[in-house]
Amino acid sequence: MKTKIFAAAALALLLCASAWAQDQTPPVQEIVEKANLMAYYQGDDGKAHVHMEITDSQGRKRKRDFIILRKDKEDGGEQYFYVYFRRPADVRRMIFMVWKHPGKDDDRWLYLPALDLVKRIAASDKRSSFVGSDFLYEDISGRSIEEDTHELAKEEEGFYVIKNVPKAPDTVEFSYYLVWIDKKTFMPMKAEYYDKAGKKYRVIEALEVEEIQGFPTVVRSKASNIETGSSTVLTFSKIKYNIGLKEEIFSERYLRRPPREAKR
Amino acid sequence: MTFGERITRFAVDHYRSITAAMVAVTVTIALFAALPSIWPGKFPFLNPLKVDTDPENMLPKDEPVRVFHNNMKKVFNLHEIVVVGVVNEKNPDGVFNPETLSHIYQLTQYAKTLQWKDPNAPSKTRGVISVDLIAPSTVDNIEQAGPGTVRFEWLMPKPPKTREEALAIRAKAERLPFLKDTLISGDGKAICLYLPITSKKDSYRIYKSLREKIAQIKGEEEYHITGLPVANDTFGVEMFIQMAISAPMAMIIIFLLMLFFFRKLVLIISPMIVALVSVIFTMGLLVISGNTVHIMSSMIPIFIMPIAVLDSIHILSEFFDRYPAIRDRKRTIVEVMNHLFMPMLYTSLTSAAGFASLALAPIPPVQVFGLFVALGVMYAWLLTVTFIPAYVMFIPEASLENFGHKGGGKEGDGGMLSRFLSWVGSATYRQYKAILGATVLIIVVAAYGITRIQINDNPVKWFTKSHPIRVADTVLNRHFGGTYMAYLSLASTTHEDLESFKKGFLARLKKQAEQDAELQGAQEVYGEVEKIFSSVSAPTPAEYLREVAEKAQSLADEAPEEMLDAWDEALNFLDKERQRSEVFKDPKVLRYVEKIQEHLLSTGILGKSNSIADLVKTVHRELLMGRDEEFRIPDTPEAVAQCLITYQNSHRPQDLWHFVTPDYQRASLWLQLKSGDNKDMVKVEEALARFIEENPPPVPLKTQWFGLTYINVVWQAKMVTGMLNAFLGSFLVVFLMMTLLFRSPLWGILCMIPLTVTIAFIYGAVGIVGKDYDMPIAVLSSLTLGLAVDFAIHFLSRSRSMVREYGSWSEAAGVMFEEPARAISRNIIVIAVGFLPLLFAPLVPYKTVGTFLATILSVAGIATLFLLPAMIRVFENRLFPKVQQGLTCKCMTCLIVAASTIALVVVNVYQYINWGVNRLAMASGAALAASFVACFIASRRKSCQRRSQ
Repeated sequence: MKTKIFAAAALALLLCASAWAQDQTPPVQEIVEKANLMAYYQGDDGKAHVHMEITDSQGRKRKRDFIILRKDKEDGGEQYFYVYFRRPADVRRMIFMVWKHPGKDDDRWLYLPALDLVKRIAASDKRSSFVGSDFLYEDISGRSIEEDTHELAKEEEGFYVIKNVPKAPDTVEFSYYLVWIDKKTFMPMKAEYYDKAGKKYRVIEALEVEEIQGFPTVVRSKASNIETGSSTVLTFSKIKYNIGLKEEIFSERYLRRPPREAKR
Repeated sequence: MTFGERITRFAVDHYRSITAAMVAVTVTIALFAALPSIWPGKFPFLNPLKVDTDPENMLPKDEPVRVFHNNMKKVFNLHEIVVVGVVNEKNPDGVFNPETLSHIYQLTQYAKTLQWKDPNAPSKTRGVISVDLIAPSTVDNIEQAGPGTVRFEWLMPKPPKTREEALAIRAKAERLPFLKDTLISGDGKAICLYLPITSKKDSYRIYKSLREKIAQIKGEEEYHITGLPVANDTFGVEMFIQMAISAPMAMIIIFLLMLFFFRKLVLIISPMIVALVSVIFTMGLLVISGNTVHIMSSMIPIFIMPIAVLDSIHILSEFFDRYPAIRDRKRTIVEVMNHLFMPMLYTSLTSAAGFASLALAPIPPVQVFGLFVALGVMYAWLLTVTFIPAYVMFIPEASLENFGHKGGGKEGDGGMLSRFLSWVGSATYRQYKAILGATVLIIVVAAYGITRIQINDNPVKWFTKSHPIRVADTVLNRHFGGTYMAYLSLASTTHEDLESFKKGFLARLKKQAEQDAELQGAQEVYGEVEKIFSSVSAPTPAEYLREVAEKAQSLADEAPEEMLDAWDEALNFLDKERQRSEVFKDPKVLRYVEKIQEHLLSTGILGKSNSIADLVKTVHRELLMGRDEEFRIPDTPEAVAQCLITYQNSHRPQDLWHFVTPDYQRASLWLQLKSGDNKDMVKVEEALARFIEENPPPVPLKTQWFGLTYINVVWQAKMVTGMLNAFLGSFLVVFLMMTLLFRSPLWGILCMIPLTVTIAFIYGAVGIVGKDYDMPIAVLSSLTLGLAVDFAIHFLSRSRSMVREYGSWSEAAGVMFEEPARAISRNIIVIAVGFLPLLFAPLVPYKTVGTFLATILSVAGIATLFLLPAMIRVFENRLFPKVQQGLTCKCMTCLIVAASTIALVVVNVYQYINWGVNRLAMASGAALAASFVACFIASRRKSCQRRSQ
């Protein structure tokens, strides 16, 4: 008898809890989904010239120039990336290609022209540096929203602050990260990463947003590694959306023979 | 009344005020030195006690090699490293078993948290630099993951669960040259964690925390913590234990021996007071003046004590022998002091001069050491001539009732020492030829020994073999490629002048334009570039190119669509021009680096080396299916660049900048030496120099060493020449002083003989025994000089007055071997035995000092007691001339004094002025000629002639 009462009470509590949760969850989920689309799925495809400047703790600078092509299969779903390096001269024509599969491992390729070599990169770990910069591969192609649990940590003037906790903490170096999402545009404007000891060690910020063909677009962003004192600024130019990129471009065949769209 | 007598009288008459003054000065100095350390911050005008255990400080802060070392540390982001070695000899798989690896994982995670806010600068973090930490869970692995696929991942993302997983980690790490023999040992028994730290000063705190954590882990594996910062810190702690235990222990033994000799407690306390007060005074001033307590200055008490006691023992010994005859303490002490005042003044001055000469050695801690010991010696002298007589006055006459030598100082009492000495006395008189012959033999053997001296030092060997630091050092160097790091910087020195650059550029531009001629608008575009090029002006090719590229870029940005391909090629050409200076992407250069590594490895001294070449080779192999034959430098700079950018796709892209600068104009080669011995580092240095001479680099490269192992070599080299200088300088000073004291160069030479023999003997023995000539041995030369000459001065000045008293040496010799010889012998025994406790010290430099002090004193004593009487016997007539003449009246004497003065000046100044050998020789020749003329005229003057008649 006694246990029954307990069970009933527990059930009631559970229902209440989930009711409360249901009341709150949709907005968080919605915020996160909208932000994901905002950041990585504008238009059906797109192209940009990117200038990358890496500054280390001693103020020494390194520059890279590349062109990014992107094509979405569906919003929030499968996606292709094609990164063609123009400068420095000695890595010219190097290509990095991604087939992004939300919910499972991406396919990634690297083409090294000097060795005339196409390599697939095993996708076990996407949290490694993107060509020596402070951006990670995952920052470029986007971390799947299904890999974290999300909660609205707080609201600051104009921003939702979402706390994201990894579902598989063993596979990543952070314990959680906070993302500041613009309430009006749903553009993620800042992300702060906290390590296993709870210390902030990494920040990514959108420095400048412009509206291009009606799409709010980040045209300058910065990643800072607090531990190494290094930071990287990406400047996007010649941004174009919906240019009708063909899907076949994003194939192994085109690594050795980059399409005209990728080169300039 | 002589100066000495006046002082003694004053001391005896005002003995209370003298004592009060001494107490007041001592207390004041002790307070000034101690207060700011006890209450830090309360006394801003005083300096607190500062300990410095950094061997780097053997060189001044602005020494070029140190400046370069610190600069390179910044350029390559290198830090001081605490090394944690984990060794498992029990498990057949070594450390590669799930349990040990999980412990290592835990310890790594813990080490990452050893960070704290800098209390002085809250924005800065101190402690372990976790991003640069090297451990299985923090480094990357690159390997094959199926056909055509390469994988980048953490080597050990989490602790393995099974034996297979654990062994797989070993297999992976063994394929990576920068991990093998660095992170993991070849035999699989050990793993080393490298914890870079923000500052050496934090190493003790980190060491302690690690120890606590390790105690909790309780695995079957052993943990060794080492690395130079830990060694330095530990040394500091041990140094204080040493000062707190060894020095007082030496004092107790000296005290007991004196008690045995003089049997009067109340009297022998006085030398102890003199020693203690001198030490407090000197160390107090050291602290107050803001100097640091360094490995050198920590030895000041041990050096001052014997010298401070020395003079007092002479006084006591003579007091002991004479009191029974006089039976009045005041008269006895005045008479004793009268005898001893001049010899004591001179012994103190010579000892002080010996130490002060260390100021000539270009090593700051040695300079400080020398000057303060000299100061302490002179202060001890002052106390000896004032406080000892004053102290005697405090002793009631009645308590001296049974005190003293029964013989009253004239005859032996048949005691062992006395009997032995009287035998020595007669032996030296009869067997003088045998003694001189034996001495010549000893000198010949010693000369051979000196040629075999090995100059070598190793700060880790300052710890005894059983010390945990030494144990860790031995164990880890057995398992790994070596834990002593030395670095070689290779820098491109290609500085093309602007004109030849411009010419070359235009030629290359033309060629490129021809190549791209088919592109639309190519002619126009390249024409524009050429126009820009001729319009720009900048001082260097690099700046020139930067400006050209900027202007070309802005033109390209506005160019019409159809010309973009041409512009892209032109801009790419400009970037290629910029990259021409990136020599460390050039395969020729990387292969040269590879060859240097192979050559240095073939010396057998280093176990391992790492460079950018190893990174490139490894990535190249893994990109090409992991085939071993692809473990090589690819053939084009582009391929190198693409391997490197692939390497940088890792979790730790910043690691590349430990090996090369982002402009690729400077690279660093990491060498792991199996031994920290300076001589081994020197061999590596020489091997490199030879290699470069025989195999000139493909492009102009400048090689420069850095790293603590190398810095040790530099200061050691300075130490050797510096000490030699200091020794020469003090030898000349002492000789001059002796010549002046005895007013005869012959006596001066005689004085120098026992110490010369002693030094020859000691350093000959060092060479023959094979003991390394290291820092303490080098410093001991000045101590030998100071102490050995003491005995000679006492012996000779007493002999001279004895001969005057008894008429001839044959008469005086017997008497000399009574009371005067007893005083010398007592001194030798007290101090030699007194320093034996140093042999039990856990720090080797103190052991060395203990052993050598005992040996030096014994040899110097024997040399004095045997050799001097034998020499006097031979040169009796010359030594005791019938007519005494003034110094300047003897032309030869005057000239010798002048010559040694000139030599002294030369030794002192030549390192500070930039004169060549010829110019210096000419200047000294001129000075010598001038002094010859002066001496000649002086010796022929009337007053001299009158006296000689």
